[in-house]
Amino acid sequence: MSNQLTIFLLLMFSQALVPAAHAAPDAASCLTCHGAMQGSMEKEKGVIVNLNIDQDRFSKSVHSFLNCVECHMGFTSQPHQAPAARVDAAVQNLANALSAKSKIDAVAQAACAQVQCHGDVYKAYKASVHGQNVIVKKSSDGPVCTSCHGSPHYIQPRTGKDSRVNHFNVVETCGSCHEEKHLTEKYKFSPLVMERYKESFHGRKLKLGHSGAPACSDCHGAHDIRKAADPASPVSGANKLKTCGKCHPGATTKFVAAITHKPLHPVAHYAELGLIILTVGTFLFIIIHVLLDVYADIRDRLFRKGGNHE
Amino acid sequence: MRTFATACSGRGVTMNKSIPTEIERFDLSARIQHICLFTTFLLLAFTGWGLKYAYVEPSSAWINIWGGARIAGIIHRIAGIGMLCTFLYHQFYLLNLWRKKDLRLTVVPMPKDVMDLIQNFMYYLGLSREKPKFGKFTYLQKFDYWAVYWGMVIIGTSGLFLAFPVPASYLFPTWSLPWIWDTLFTMHSDESLLAIVFILFIHFYNEHLRSDVFPMNWMWLTGKISVEELKHKHPLEYERLFGKNAGQGKR
Repeated sequence: MSNQLTIFLLLMFSQALVPAAHAAPDAASCLTCHGAMQGSMEKEKGVIVNLNIDQDRFSKSVHSFLNCVECHMGFTSQPHQAPAARVDAAVQNLANALSAKSKIDAVAQAACAQVQCHGDVYKAYKASVHGQNVIVKKSSDGPVCTSCHGSPHYIQPRTGKDSRVNHFNVVETCGSCHEEKHLTEKYKFSPLVMERYKESFHGRKLKLGHSGAPACSDCHGAHDIRKAADPASPVSGANKLKTCGKCHPGATTKFVAAITHKPLHPVAHYAELGLIILTVGTFLFIIIHVLLDVYADIRDRLFRKGGNHE
Repeated sequence: MRTFATACSGRGVTMNKSIPTEIERFDLSARIQHICLFTTFLLLAFTGWGLKYAYVEPSSAWINIWGGARIAGIIHRIAGIGMLCTFLYHQFYLLNLWRKKDLRLTVVPMPKDVMDLIQNFMYYLGLSREKPKFGKFTYLQKFDYWAVYWGMVIIGTSGLFLAFPVPASYLFPTWSLPWIWDTLFTMHSDESLLAIVFILFIHFYNEHLRSDVFPMNWMWLTGKISVEELKHKHPLEYERLFGKNAGQGKR
């Protein structure tokens, strides 16, 4: 009997703490728990949900004005059990389509696409090669919003230097998939696309902080990205002239052939090899020459005084 | 690069009994050309190194010292054009010497240079007690001089193409397009490394670090070489100027 009493009292107490249990809770009341909770739970096999929200970082993100339930629409009761609330049909449909990819809270992922939030971006994304793969083909490959932008709780403006889609960071972000061997084989990406970009003048200048050096999205587009073979792609056919021409006025078909991200052509490869042999050969010759000269100089000074030296 | 001037024939030195203590080896024009060449060379090397090794820190910090990637790129282009102009000027300088009949082909490689090389290695290794008798320029100095020509052709032309890629692309035949840019890039990048390491080892060693010139050979400023040094390092040139037996009585 006393156990039942304790539970009853505790429930009374929690009711007192959270007076508006059935109204939509605001971020502050969610963070009362999730700001302090540590650790994670396994939602289903292999899907680990981190239960902690870093309040400090959340408050500095561009999403800090949002209430949790505006994205996590399923969790309207508080304290919550499994997500139970009815969700807007459009969001729920999208969430179902994303469920192969977005396993922690597909509803929250789908919520980004709401018209009043990122509706335009969603439209472009849905038509893109990424969006088609995820939404239409329901593949677990291909990015959803958070794949590139990182956690929405701590999301920074694109100009922020910690943003994963910042001009100087986006190459690494694209590379996290486009460098993956199983994806390059499955989707026939140019296997050395990252390496070839990074060693190009574009990649090197970007690394050194040249704000005018193009990152992936500057030529290929971002949310609306297409296959290079798609006539709508900014790097396909005549579009490439315009795309390159943004920085290189007067670009012709001959000029735009310069950037392909394909592996080195054999001629370039053997030219490089020849020059390396020449360079290493010359190094060896001059280093041996200098060392022998040092040796002879010391020898003459120590043992052949008055010999060949003045 | 001290070999940049080929022809300074020791004018003003007459073959009379008195031997001067020093003679002019590089005239003023040659010295100015040398200063232009090494200034542009250093600027190119400093800014280009940061780009070549962009992924090796502290390249970003190094490039920031030069005003960031954009400014460093502009410095690199201006220095490159400056160096090409110096090189062109040198060709006119040679033509002018030729016109005045002052041009001696002292820096042209000869079969004797191969013999000198072999003799020098024999001397280094203790197989011979005789040092090779060098003329006005040693084989290494000739190598140094012609290395500049090699650099101008390989690094200079590829650099021009890379600096102005759109106009350059009009010149390239279509069949070369799949490899031409990568090849130009390799030419520019690898041969620059060769040039830098060559200068760092051979030139710095011979003109700065070597025990008899440390901290540096002042000839680049004065243009003068002491007759003692000439006799020691370039005996055939000494003999040409002062006769085989000149100065024998001194020692």
